[in-house]
Amino acid sequence: MNVIALLKEMHRAGELNSGQLDVLSEIHLKKRYSVHRELRVAIYVGVLLISAGVGLTIRQYFAQLGDIAIVGSLSSGALASFGYCFMKGRPWSSGEVESPSILFDYVLLFGCTLYAADVGYIETQFHVLGDSWHNYLLVSAALFFFLAYRFDNRLVLSMALSTLAAWFGFQLSVRFLSFHKYYRESAIAYGLITFAAGSLSHRLAVKKHFFDIYLNFTVHFLLAALLSGVAEYRFSSWHLPAMAAAIAAVAVYAMRNRRFLYMLYAVLYGYACLSAVAVAFIDGAAAMYLYGIVSSLAVIGLIFILSRRFKEGT
Amino acid sequence: MRISLYSADQEEKIYIRREARTWSRSGLITDVQLGIIDSRTETGLTQTNIFFRILFFLFTNACMHAVMGLYVWMVGIRDEVLIAWAALASGIAMVSLAEYLAGRKSFYRHGIEEALALAGMALACTGIVIFVSLLKIDLRWLITTAALLASAGAFWLYLRFGFLYAAVLSAAFACVVPFQLSLPPAGERAILSMVLVLVLLTSIRTESFETRDFRKERSAMLQAFLLAGIYLAVNLRLPELGRAFWGHSGMPYRPFAGFPPLFYWMTYGLTFLIPALGLYHGLKRRKRIVINVSLIAALLTLATNKDYLGFRHYAWDPAILGAALIIAAIAVMRWLANGSREARRGFTAQDLLKPENRAISLADIGAAVLPGAIHASLPQASPDKPFDGGQSGGGGASQEY
Repeated sequence: MNVIALLKEMHRAGELNSGQLDVLSEIHLKKRYSVHRELRVAIYVGVLLISAGVGLTIRQYFAQLGDIAIVGSLSSGALASFGYCFMKGRPWSSGEVESPSILFDYVLLFGCTLYAADVGYIETQFHVLGDSWHNYLLVSAALFFFLAYRFDNRLVLSMALSTLAAWFGFQLSVRFLSFHKYYRESAIAYGLITFAAGSLSHRLAVKKHFFDIYLNFTVHFLLAALLSGVAEYRFSSWHLPAMAAAIAAVAVYAMRNRRFLYMLYAVLYGYACLSAVAVAFIDGAAAMYLYGIVSSLAVIGLIFILSRRFKEGT
Repeated sequence: MRISLYSADQEEKIYIRREARTWSRSGLITDVQLGIIDSRTETGLTQTNIFFRILFFLFTNACMHAVMGLYVWMVGIRDEVLIAWAALASGIAMVSLAEYLAGRKSFYRHGIEEALALAGMALACTGIVIFVSLLKIDLRWLITTAALLASAGAFWLYLRFGFLYAAVLSAAFACVVPFQLSLPPAGERAILSMVLVLVLLTSIRTESFETRDFRKERSAMLQAFLLAGIYLAVNLRLPELGRAFWGHSGMPYRPFAGFPPLFYWMTYGLTFLIPALGLYHGLKRRKRIVINVSLIAALLTLATNKDYLGFRHYAWDPAILGAALIIAAIAVMRWLANGSREARRGFTAQDLLKPENRAISLADIGAAVLPGAIHASLPQASPDKPFDGGQSGGGGASQEY
């Protein structure tokens, strides 16, 4: 049996109409071949490269270029991009809105990167907001949220959420790795806020398809922060029951909605949490190995039961 | 004689089911039609989703490591021969268990049998290599033996279980061999490239006799990996690009990258020729993965072109490359859109098939990282202190590029 034979068989049995047979045969035999994804990736990589080039140029030549040239060109670039999006964008809808063209989403993303570079440059050079300089991140996040919802853009929503995380104090740095020391409560607060915002958006049926982005940010910030608390205090704080409740909630959500990525998160964070607690009570190499065997088998057993319940068709 | 644990019919049915799911996602068939296809393509194999597969793989590996650790700790083995026997025996046991799960229990890409087969093969090879090391042979020969053994073992797993990554591992291990033959660096790369080209051409030649879709798909993937391997062996300026990417671009420029000039310029020509030929073949035979690898190779060629020619890099180089990429994409898009039925020779920019929604994509993660990367790239010095950060005098020595 092959694809074409099956399609013809279904057509003969009246299970597939002639139009479908033609389209599917054409696609399968690659007589009609889409390069849509390749073009999207090329434009996305192009935007990333331009952003990197702009950043490097400013960093290396800002003294020679002068503030007016830098701020002027970044501002006009961002305004032009946003202007294009407002002119060409489809009317707002609370549901999913298809982009008017392949280019559209990336023009918006490009505008946002230019805006971020512009505002960041102004703040680092002129210290307009003084000691409360980091509030420019909040303003940027608000703008990105607005643009993401207005133009239905997941990429800009990701930028908004990570900019909000930066306002909470998280940066791409080595210090982030030791956030148990600096940022635990901030991370928990951030996780809860993103979850509340995502849930509200989902409940109100406003861009429901954004929920996965919110949930990914929530799960990682919240569970990583709670895990660091469990590793530090074990039974002597509220982190352990909170972690257990959060993992249970993530697992239940994953099963109810058949979103198995979240089950992966729940199992990995859950196992890390269990191990963080268990390691304190395990003495000696043999006990450690036994723990490894028993716990791994338990996880395999659990996943096996779940995989039987959600048997894959493919 | 059939080497594979799965029949070609089963593998073809799995391929059809995967295609049908893509059609269903893209609205080309209804759920009822999907159900009909499913009922006609029953394989009798036990499968799971990608996330459970990852979990099975990780925890089976963890369990196997813990079992081995406990065994070594309990028995207290110190003798090399005993360690070799233990590794060999446990390796064979694990591969046998994987075969049992795949053969009798019909596990197909389930994670458990994959972890057992890979870990088992690694252990069995380790055992044999320890035995060989007892013969006190030269280190280079020991590495060559280990690489050939691992390559053969991985290739066996590919034939038996059909794991594509095992075939890639097999090729990667075989690539170690030319570097152990005491050849000059140019000779090492030349032999490696020639062997990979030979395998690639053989694969292309044999695929024309192939009728099964799943085999065609698999050979396209292997060809893409081989093409990537050839390109990596040929481009002598990739290490510079890697160093620049990780912010370690302070190394002095080495003329001809330390290779003979003739070889250097030949590889320069090949860095253009390989992506061009790959793209031609990929477009002609409609092999998406070959097209993608060729495009990445072409991008790398453009990124390393200045290093090859010994030209100076400028901060705006990435922006120019990015702009060129976008302009090229728009030009292709417009050209295709102006063809009949918005296509030319069957190629179209229309979105025909929707990818699977896995909750978050690489593009989303990239966009999330973007604000942090932009902020990190901004200058920290104030304009009223233009000499901070080495902008003038000192040649910007303290500045990063």
